[in-house]
Amino acid sequence: MYEEPYRWIEAVANRRNYLDDQFSQGNPLVAVSFAKGILLVTVNRGTEKIYEIYDRIALGGMGHPADLEKLRYTLLDMAHVEGFQRSPSDVTVARLMKNGLAPVIKQAFEEIYKAPYITKVLLAEVGATQDRDRIFSINYDGMYEEQKEFGLLAASPSIRESLVEEWKAQERPTSLQNALEVSLRLWGISSLLQASTSVPDAEEEETVSSTIDVVSTIPDDEAIATRIKETLAKETLECVLLDRESGKMETYRTLTQSELQPLIPKYFEPVKES
Amino acid sequence: MGQQGDFLQVLQEQGYAMDTLFPSSNGISALAHPDLTTGTTVFAMKYADGVLVAGDRRATAGNVVMYDRTDKVLEIDRFSVMAIAGVPATAFEMARVLEHSFKYYRRSQLQDLSFEGKLRALSTLLKNNAPAALAGTGTVVPVYAGYDQLEGCGKIFFYDILGAEFEAVEYAVSGSGSSTIRGILYYMNRWGNNGPVAGMNEEDALTFILRLMTSAAEFDSATGGVDAQAQLYPIVKRVSAEGVRTIPADRLKSLYSEKVLT
Repeated sequence: MYEEPYRWIEAVANRRNYLDDQFSQGNPLVAVSFAKGILLVTVNRGTEKIYEIYDRIALGGMGHPADLEKLRYTLLDMAHVEGFQRSPSDVTVARLMKNGLAPVIKQAFEEIYKAPYITKVLLAEVGATQDRDRIFSINYDGMYEEQKEFGLLAASPSIRESLVEEWKAQERPTSLQNALEVSLRLWGISSLLQASTSVPDAEEEETVSSTIDVVSTIPDDEAIATRIKETLAKETLECVLLDRESGKMETYRTLTQSELQPLIPKYFEPVKES
Repeated sequence: MGQQGDFLQVLQEQGYAMDTLFPSSNGISALAHPDLTTGTTVFAMKYADGVLVAGDRRATAGNVVMYDRTDKVLEIDRFSVMAIAGVPATAFEMARVLEHSFKYYRRSQLQDLSFEGKLRALSTLLKNNAPAALAGTGTVVPVYAGYDQLEGCGKIFFYDILGAEFEAVEYAVSGSGSSTIRGILYYMNRWGNNGPVAGMNEEDALTFILRLMTSAAEFDSATGGVDAQAQLYPIVKRVSAEGVRTIPADRLKSLYSEKVLT
């Protein structure tokens, strides 16, 4: 039945709806570049979402853990074979994304007889200097974007857009503490917008169109802070630093809870009952 | 796919085979090629704070000195080093395979490969390389030293060319200069004024290492020893709970002039 072109287009559109729905409960992920390196931040409910791929490269994921695992192996194999047969400096995030990940994800998305990858992936590469940092993010359909100083995985394209605007309006982070605050704030906004757009099934299309306005309004600071606090009270903050100044080949470092708490004490205070 | 974390398998799926580099079935043998680069002195020794691994810096082919700044003590990961004796091409290749294998394992399995697992990996490489080793075109006889985090102590292992693995209690030696220092090590460990080598402090141990290298170079033309004039000192690495650290050449230089020359 999919031989007819319009049927195929219809099937792909259905797939988009299905996938968008799958991500509505996902956790956003933020990556920011600053002087010391690249910081990746997300919150997890038990399964890690940030992984080491190679000496200077980290992966962040959103979506189904099994799909993410499969893609992670694809990247690990590609990076390590390349690093071994040529040189570690030939392993770049641009090549991993363009030759490795994007074709695989796109093909799975468009082969409508098979299951697509329910995952969005972010790849970050820390450079010797900040202007050589690269952050790629890829959608479930194989479309990817390249950025230098900021990357994001969000539940929907409209949330993504709002956050990109918010990032542009913000001052660039200078220290680790600063970068952590900025990333968490963006995470909080993304999480709030996501909650306000996920519409219960019963509601009609009108409600959906009215929520588009909601997406463009950034919540106030207090609401963001409360959201972050509430989340951190029951879920785990996951932070990885690709440390430009590590002095070693390997740059990937998971920041421990005891390192994180003194940097952002206000988010770890007990939530007030009101 | 490398779902088991086996990097060698991933490489082999890509068409990589270590023994194609050194085919052994076409009649090449060490006798036909007496000038393959071999000859070395490397050793590892336990001391009070961990393990010290040392290697001279000369690479020879027959009676020709090819290179005087070789690094034969190779850092495989944060907690282990491999000191190599034998055909450098194969040895360096093995070191690279190991380095990438351990990284690949850690990143894919999200845990470090155990110390025993690392030893097995080297053993497997040597076993696969046996035909080239027997032909003499790819002989490698390594000493592997590392810090076992499970047991909380430094360990030394040495191998034969076929991959058999032996644990050394106090020290292990390899290379053409090793027969000279093996005797000295045995003597000093048993009857030396400083007591067994494992009780030496770092300064005494380093001094001892420089003296051993100098002795090896005296009797083995393929061992570089110390060349103070050219500022050439052996490579010495320390393996302990903090990881692998290279002893700076300046430290060796001052010890050499104070305690070896006098």
